Amino acid sequence: MAVVDQAGGGAPAPAPAPEGKPGKRRSASHTRLWGVLLAPPAIWMLVFFVSSIIIVILLSFGHVNDHFKPVFGTSLDNYRTLWNTTYASVFVRSLVYAILTVVFCLLVGYPVAYTIALHGGRHKNLLIAALVIPFFASYLIRMYAWSTLLSDEGLVNQLLQKLGLSEPVKFLNTPGAVIAGLTYGFVIFMILPIYASLERMDLSLIEAGKDLYHGPVRTFLSVTLPSTRAGVLGGLLLVFLPALGDFVSAQLLGGPGTYMIGNLIQQQFFEGQNAPLGSALTVVLMLCLVVFMVFYLRATDRESRET
Amino acid sequence: MATATSSSETAGGTITTVPSRRRRRSVEGKPRLAVAFTVLFFALLYLPIIIVVLFSFNSRKSLSYFESFSTRWYVQFFNDEQLISSLKASLFISTITMLGSLALGVMLAIALERVRSRPARVVGTVSLIPLVTPEIVTGVAALLFFTGLGIKLSLATVILAEITFSISYVAVIVRGRLAALSGEYEEAARDLGCTPFQAVRLVVVPAILPALIASGLLIFALTFDDFVLAFFTTGVDPQPLPVRIYSEIRLSISPAINAVGTCMMLVSAVLLIVAVVVPRLFGSKDSGIDIISQG
Repeated sequence: MAVVDQAGGGAPAPAPAPEGKPGKRRSASHTRLWGVLLAPPAIWMLVFFVSSIIIVILLSFGHVNDHFKPVFGTSLDNYRTLWNTTYASVFVRSLVYAILTVVFCLLVGYPVAYTIALHGGRHKNLLIAALVIPFFASYLIRMYAWSTLLSDEGLVNQLLQKLGLSEPVKFLNTPGAVIAGLTYGFVIFMILPIYASLERMDLSLIEAGKDLYHGPVRTFLSVTLPSTRAGVLGGLLLVFLPALGDFVSAQLLGGPGTYMIGNLIQQQFFEGQNAPLGSALTVVLMLCLVVFMVFYLRATDRESRET
Repeated sequence: MATATSSSETAGGTITTVPSRRRRRSVEGKPRLAVAFTVLFFALLYLPIIIVVLFSFNSRKSLSYFESFSTRWYVQFFNDEQLISSLKASLFISTITMLGSLALGVMLAIALERVRSRPARVVGTVSLIPLVTPEIVTGVAALLFFTGLGIKLSLATVILAEITFSISYVAVIVRGRLAALSGEYEEAARDLGCTPFQAVRLVVVPAILPALIASGLLIFALTFDDFVLAFFTTGVDPQPLPVRIYSEIRLSISPAINAVGTCMMLVSAVLLIVAVVVPRLFGSKDSGIDIISQG
């Protein structure tokens, strides 16, 4: 397999070689042009993104002075505060919520992507468009709509009471509502990469798998799922990153008992007026994400080496 | 693995009818459960949107009982000076962000696609980081940056933060398009006497125009709806529309919010549909949805 692939991939390789010569001839004037093009966005990113992230990291070692103004420092007090108090439990809760969100997104997203990719027929593009459009409708508005739907007097409870339930079911302020909200909000980021990898996959492999393994479940586990591994991994990453940092779902569908890291960060900056502590929270959030990114990159790296 | 592939190829070569019939049968095999699941998914996907639109036309204040058709909440929305100034602010922010991030993002995309030096690769990697950074981190960072420098929070700070966040999107989408465009076209333009800048302006930019339009509309829609970044970087008056809605939701639930939400969703939907249709008008093989979903 590997040999065949390399032979196949090697075929177009000689093509760029002839292009190299004229490129070299003009490299001086070209490099100047590219430098001119590269400089403004590079400087912009350096000033507004890189330096502002560095400020967050530096301020996380600072404290608030007597006039409630944040000042830089070199103490680890903010991190000690995070470690000692209820903050730690909020972090654990956020991680659990984010992981459950990823699992639900996979369980919901894979069948949807699979159905559209394999059974979508002529309407595939239309279905994908129909899938994408709601995600461009304000996340805030959609979350607010769920909060009215799921409230004690909301439509869902009215329906349940018509079906014979006497007491309204308490949906809001529960972990389930927050996780459902996150799943609803980010499932698209799972569906699109899985759909893309299903589209790229050679469907005759599924045929071969059915002949070989007899049974859709074994075929799925040993042919389809491994073939779409890149899409699944991409989806896991794209869902986990925003889910861990979200605060809107917990704000509108949950309550103080279901607050996540995002809510704590928001409180430190807008209610607690403790920017250094908020910065420390943000740094720990970034560290969680970096750890996850490293796992992701190692997993995809292993995959690209295998194939 | 290799043998399996080759045997299926020979089978396809010798007996052409059998595999195609087989494939069709397997595709139509037993998708009933999967199709039902997908239909349910789409229903839940659209449920909150339908509810918002429906109750924006409710004559009563209730959000759970629909009485009769009325446009009173739209009248209330358009007579609410604060909401209208927020709407104008959001349109302004989105327009400037779209133009700014297009200019910077295209520069970045062209430079990164054509330069293979180490610094360029570093810039390329750094410019991808905002895409995988949760908005709350970007928001906190921007807030501390502005307050640290003593810059008063206003619509301008929102725009600066939104542009920073959007450059990466534009760069990724346009780079995808550029990668498909061979460098030979530029070479040809150069052979015909163009300066490097002319080659970019006369050859590269027209070729990536569909991607430019699609990413511009995408950025407009994303910025118009963006809450988190705007929440962290906005001043007091006027606030961007999503921030205004957020405080309204937290204070009291008024059906006027449904009217505002319906208008916002209409803006996004129209922009997205135009983003899908425009590349097709240019005869591009891949539709805007492909361009967007790749990014």
